[in-house]
Amino acid sequence: MTVFKFSLKRSFSNKTNLLLLTLFPIAFIFFPEGEYWPVLPYGYQYFGIVLLFISIRLTTIILVDRAKGVVKRLAVAPISYGSYLCQNLLAFSVILVMQCAIVVYGGVLLGVELYQPHWLMLLYVSFSFTSLAIALAWISIFRSKESAFLIYMSLVTLLAILGGLLMPLQIFPEALIRIAVLFPTYWLNQGMSWIASEGPVGDFILINGVLWLYTIIFMILGSTRKIH
Amino acid sequence: MKAIKEPTLYIHGWRFLQIGLLMHVWIVGDLGFRAFILILLLLILTSLRWRFRLPVWSVLLDVLLCLLLFPYTDIHYVALAIPMFELALRGKWMLSLLLVAGFSLLHALHVIDSTIDLIFWYHLHAFLFGCFSWLTIKSQQSYKREADEQRKARAELERIKMDLLEANHSAIHHAELMERYRISRQLHDHLGHDLTGALLATQAYEYVKDSEEGDKLLAEVRQRLERSTVSLREAVHNVTPTAMIGVERLDYIISSFQHKDIAFYKSGDMLLVSAYMWGLLEACLKEALTNVARHSDATKVKVDLQVTESIVRLSIHDYGSVTAGSHEGSGLRGLKLRARSIGGSLSVNRQDGFLVVCVIPIEKVGEADEATNRR
Repeated sequence: MTVFKFSLKRSFSNKTNLLLLTLFPIAFIFFPEGEYWPVLPYGYQYFGIVLLFISIRLTTIILVDRAKGVVKRLAVAPISYGSYLCQNLLAFSVILVMQCAIVVYGGVLLGVELYQPHWLMLLYVSFSFTSLAIALAWISIFRSKESAFLIYMSLVTLLAILGGLLMPLQIFPEALIRIAVLFPTYWLNQGMSWIASEGPVGDFILINGVLWLYTIIFMILGSTRKIH
Repeated sequence: MKAIKEPTLYIHGWRFLQIGLLMHVWIVGDLGFRAFILILLLLILTSLRWRFRLPVWSVLLDVLLCLLLFPYTDIHYVALAIPMFELALRGKWMLSLLLVAGFSLLHALHVIDSTIDLIFWYHLHAFLFGCFSWLTIKSQQSYKREADEQRKARAELERIKMDLLEANHSAIHHAELMERYRISRQLHDHLGHDLTGALLATQAYEYVKDSEEGDKLLAEVRQRLERSTVSLREAVHNVTPTAMIGVERLDYIISSFQHKDIAFYKSGDMLLVSAYMWGLLEACLKEALTNVARHSDATKVKVDLQVTESIVRLSIHDYGSVTAGSHEGSGLRGLKLRARSIGGSLSVNRQDGFLVVCVIPIEKVGEADEATNRR
């Protein structure tokens, strides 16, 4: 598990990453609650955006490896590309799950009203894997770390707006609400609404199922080995 | 740009466009989340097809997904175009046509209720595009195979040509060695014998006291020396070739060329140049002069032959004008290959008229014999 350990170390080596991965989740716990919207405190509503952002920061490590020729050297190394990718993704997912645990159970400890914190944790974990898969698919298109990151920020903003994370979906026209269903952020939003409303479990399973389907799709698309 | 010419790009494009179409149908229709789940599952299969080459039976999964996830909606009916296309793409066009026909029959009999009236034409188009893609890929594979075989044959021919050239070089070198051996034997057996006998007789003469004996010895020495002279004269006469070789041959070629005014300069020891090198130099000169006669408007041509201890260099320079679209003919290309096969080079320069330069390294005698022994 050398790549796994090294990946963990590399993730925390960058000062920006260190701030992002440590202080940001804790800061989000202290965000206030909204009056009518969102159903959960603002920090938890926006945490999905942070997960998307952290995912791209972490997966650019793979992009850097590709640019530096590490992936090319792996082709003749005794480690397969699949193993390299899995160990990296495992490291990133461990970090993301830790973030989710800090945010959810930190909030519980501080008395934040989360309705069903364990289901919320499960929802965040599912969305973490989805955001990791989206980031992986995204970086497979690009060669440069900077352009991948910059364009992804616009994409994240769009996903957040259209998915109903930044503003309530009800204010959008019917057609846009229908289109919003295509985005993973919509399902995260629906998941958070379910947690606040305590609906039937089948709905929650559907929401998580859709998020995992997205994870599988983007994993398949992003797991190609590209040697430049 | 090369990727645009690949048929697989359009096949993958079609596959993902189908998913796009299904999503569009889902968005505009008032369809539930089950249809949306079906689209996601079909998207997974499409992504797997993009990533890997799935077996033909994976088409069953598409069909099963469309059949098992009910209630049936327009999404299900439109999605059936995917297995129809995939079957046709794998050359199973009969099965694909059966699927198209079967669905159309059920639709005609109102067993299947689709709001899309033109669904039959849509399925037919998917089938036809699948067949077209299959044919395109088959043709492309066949062309690639043919191109590979031709490339292989060309490489084989090149190798045989190089082997022949090397064998030619080796044969010439062996012929030289045989001739040297024959001359050395002839000199040893006749001339050497007689000269050695004459030397021994002159040495014996110093110790002979009897004058009669001494006269006999002197007569013997004279006989032997006469025989040696005759033998030497014969050997030289027989060995000297009657045909022109070497630089004489180049002189003859130049003097026979009447089209232009040619200046021939030569320098160095011509004996250092081997027979096989003269063959190539002669061919280069002939080719260059032929090109001058055919294509050049030059009035003067300069031929320069320089022989040093390490190389022999032949340059043929005509001072005419070169047409813009001129390119090397097969003659010069062949000569380049021959020059390369013996470690030399042939280059062409069009800056000031047309200049052909052939440079061949000269093997030292010991090196040539070592190379022959190694072979």
